[in-house]
Amino acid sequence: MAPALLLLLAVFALPMLQYAWLSTQAQTVLTELEPQPVGLAQWQRLLQDGRFWQDAFQTLRFGLCSVGLELVLGLAVALLLNQPLRGRTLLRTVSLLPWALPTTVMALGWRWIFNDPFGPINLLLAQVGLPTVSFLGDPAITWLSMVWADTWKTTPFVALLLLAGLQTIPADLYEAAALEGANRWQSLRRITLPLLSPYILIAVLFRLAQALGVFDLVQVLTAGGPAGSTESLALYAYINAMRFLDFGYSATLMLAAFLLMLLLSGGAVLLWLVSRPRWAGGQR
Amino acid sequence: MTAAANTNGSKGALKLQQLGRRVGRQQLLESLSLTVQPGEILALLGPSGCGKSTTLRLLAGLDPASSGQILLGDDDITATPPADRGVALVFQSYALYPHLSVERNLSLGPELRGTRPELIKEDINRVLDLLQLQDLRHRKPAGLSGGQRQRVALGRALLRRPRLMLLDEPMSNLDAKLREELRAELQHILRSIGAPVIYVTHDQHEAMGLADRIAVLERGQLQQVGSAEELYRRPANSFVAGFLGNPSINLLSLRPGLLIGLRPEQLRLAPAGAAPASTETSLNAQLTTREWLGDRLLLHLSSANGPLKVMRPSSDTLAAGLQPGAHLEVQWSRGDALCFDARSGERIEPS
Amino acid sequence: MNRLLLILWSLGPMLWQLYTSFRPNATLTGNPMQGGWTLEHYQALLGGNPPFWRYLLNSGVVGLSSTLLTLVVAVPCAYGLSRLGRKTARNVNVLVAIAAAFPYVLLFLALLQLARDLHLGNNLLALSLPYTGLSLPLAILLLQASFRDIPPELEEAARLEGLGLWQRLRWVLLPLMAPAIASASLLIFLFCWNEYPIALTWLSRADLLTLAPAMARIAGSSVFTVPYGGFAAATVLGSIPLIVLVLVFQRQIVSGLTQGAIKG
Repeated sequence: MAPALLLLLAVFALPMLQYAWLSTQAQTVLTELEPQPVGLAQWQRLLQDGRFWQDAFQTLRFGLCSVGLELVLGLAVALLLNQPLRGRTLLRTVSLLPWALPTTVMALGWRWIFNDPFGPINLLLAQVGLPTVSFLGDPAITWLSMVWADTWKTTPFVALLLLAGLQTIPADLYEAAALEGANRWQSLRRITLPLLSPYILIAVLFRLAQALGVFDLVQVLTAGGPAGSTESLALYAYINAMRFLDFGYSATLMLAAFLLMLLLSGGAVLLWLVSRPRWAGGQR
Repeated sequence: MTAAANTNGSKGALKLQQLGRRVGRQQLLESLSLTVQPGEILALLGPSGCGKSTTLRLLAGLDPASSGQILLGDDDITATPPADRGVALVFQSYALYPHLSVERNLSLGPELRGTRPELIKEDINRVLDLLQLQDLRHRKPAGLSGGQRQRVALGRALLRRPRLMLLDEPMSNLDAKLREELRAELQHILRSIGAPVIYVTHDQHEAMGLADRIAVLERGQLQQVGSAEELYRRPANSFVAGFLGNPSINLLSLRPGLLIGLRPEQLRLAPAGAAPASTETSLNAQLTTREWLGDRLLLHLSSANGPLKVMRPSSDTLAAGLQPGAHLEVQWSRGDALCFDARSGERIEPS
Repeated sequence: MNRLLLILWSLGPMLWQLYTSFRPNATLTGNPMQGGWTLEHYQALLGGNPPFWRYLLNSGVVGLSSTLLTLVVAVPCAYGLSRLGRKTARNVNVLVAIAAAFPYVLLFLALLQLARDLHLGNNLLALSLPYTGLSLPLAILLLQASFRDIPPELEEAARLEGLGLWQRLRWVLLPLMAPAIASASLLIFLFCWNEYPIALTWLSRADLLTLAPAMARIAGSSVFTVPYGGFAAATVLGSIPLIVLVLVFQRQIVSGLTQGAIKG
């Protein structure tokens, strides 16, 4: 157990401590890349940094929208795959493919699909006489394109999680509900969703954490553009470290992103706990 | 087989001396003292949670004892690691390795202990013959029936040439018919080992049919040890009296401070108002329901002193002709009645 | 109908890439129905410097070595945790699960510092170290759940037969864990194959790049022209190994994903 513990500490705990220390230092080209203590100056700078707040907003917007969309679509796919269909395994495999691909690979693919005017979507729009859409060139639209691409990639993951949850619900519950005259919508609301809630929580927590750390997708699909409208906190931190060589501030940004994530995850858990008593007792 | 051969030569009695196990505040087993001779089969009988499995795990060395000693022959094995005790255990679930064939299930242990391959082969063939498993040697456990799995588990234990043989409810996963069939065969095999055998069960029929002596446990405490007949005829207390016998004994408080135990099969019926013989006692009762069990009838009665069960042969014309609601006299010989102290439950010899 | 929609949604973008990858660049900006077919994009990629297969090979090497290392470290740890009391294990597992969900991109700066201090940059095998650390939480959760699924009597029976800890692991426990180990290995391999930010910062030599940063480099090479045929060919080549992997091992992957969620 010792080597595992050491590695975990080295990879997870140590960096966080290092950031905590680095966020009280200035380490830039101006200090000749040597750390110099500056107290809480980095944090003050963060609070006054418009770009930070904009990126925080954009990251949150992206995270909440894509996780929400993935949840709805994922549930739909899971319900579909939970039916005794012919070729269900093949269908599951096919729907899993987008998830398995490297983000950078599929981001590059989406850049071409979203192309204006030569991407397939715009070709189709042009064919039926509609104006083409600047999927990657319009600040009001580009972030939605990013949500789209992310949803495409991660819905299978959410769907599989929820499918696993669906399969733990005994069929006789539905039969009992049907005997009592519940229609499909009612049994979804009264049986499926309550019993699925622990799985939904897991999916939301995991996906929210990943979505709020979005990096690969932004960097390859939009590079944060147009006009910084899709830049995420992780990308901003990366740019600070690798382009501006401002390590102290980069560390501050990452800690801030981490805290934001903790806050949101805590909120999600709290929400779940508050809504749970209504169907408490049925948990595993 | 050197180690096993050595242990084979020195089969001694098993002696438990004030053995106890406590986990946190819970006393799972309290000061158990017992002796089991080589070749003797002792059944540990009791309801679930009575401490019988705890005892078995202490003997196997899977759990540490909190107090007392375990002696096997001349050795104190209280602190000996399980592998070095020369103990074999047949688990309730059989614990066969699911990924290995019958043959490999048997050979894995001896192989890894470094036994010579020729010896292993010889031993395995002997055990497979004994247990009639030759045709199944290449099957995996999943392809075996419950009874076959039990025999493989038994075979694995036999191969160990144990100085002490332990069995944990080996029949509980089998259906009732098979259990009856296997009992005699199992008894024969267990006796042939020549080591002390401890057989844990909650089934009194199994214990009575298989064991030389029975130890009844309840709440971690030994209630009584003895032959099945002793336990049945002279139970140490009302718990033992109630636990052995089917249907279970009637316990009535006919006199303050005393519980009278009446076995349903020792009760007789007479028409209402009939006077008992001088050596007998009689109680007025009313029939509630009747169960027909083929050769016997089980009658449920209610009396002023509480409900009563009476077992009669089907040939009893009086019992067979009764309708629910009928009044009658229940009679028994005074010598058959068992007396218990109502508070402690201990049996009292009638004065 | 629903099924068709799902298949179209999942495969459509990939099929479009496949189609594009065989089309001459000139036709891409014209009518998609006209123009011929070409292999030039693939030829350019495979004949490039370094050739594209090099990236796949690098990713494979890192993926395999990280998977192996992770298993070696995670198996004993998972075994130890599975033998702890339920309550203690639960508390530890909450921490491990948090680490598993942690958006590790936030760690890149500190890990980069580590690479610089220990001179681990531009070394494929050294890259296995952070990858192992990052995959450990998931591996520990999966393997531990599977250890717990093995009835304790099985190990006790082996103990009574005189098998030592190592023998029990080798002959009794690990064979029974084969499915779980396969699931965990596949998920770890997928993660390593796809990992981007750490590879991006630890590797700078072109011939050492793994697939993900290589892809980004290709993407960044020409933002204003439209060499999409080449891009598409790269996405196709980069996807094929994974598609094969998913098709062959879909059962193990699915069970790994769902087990992780149910038991974690």
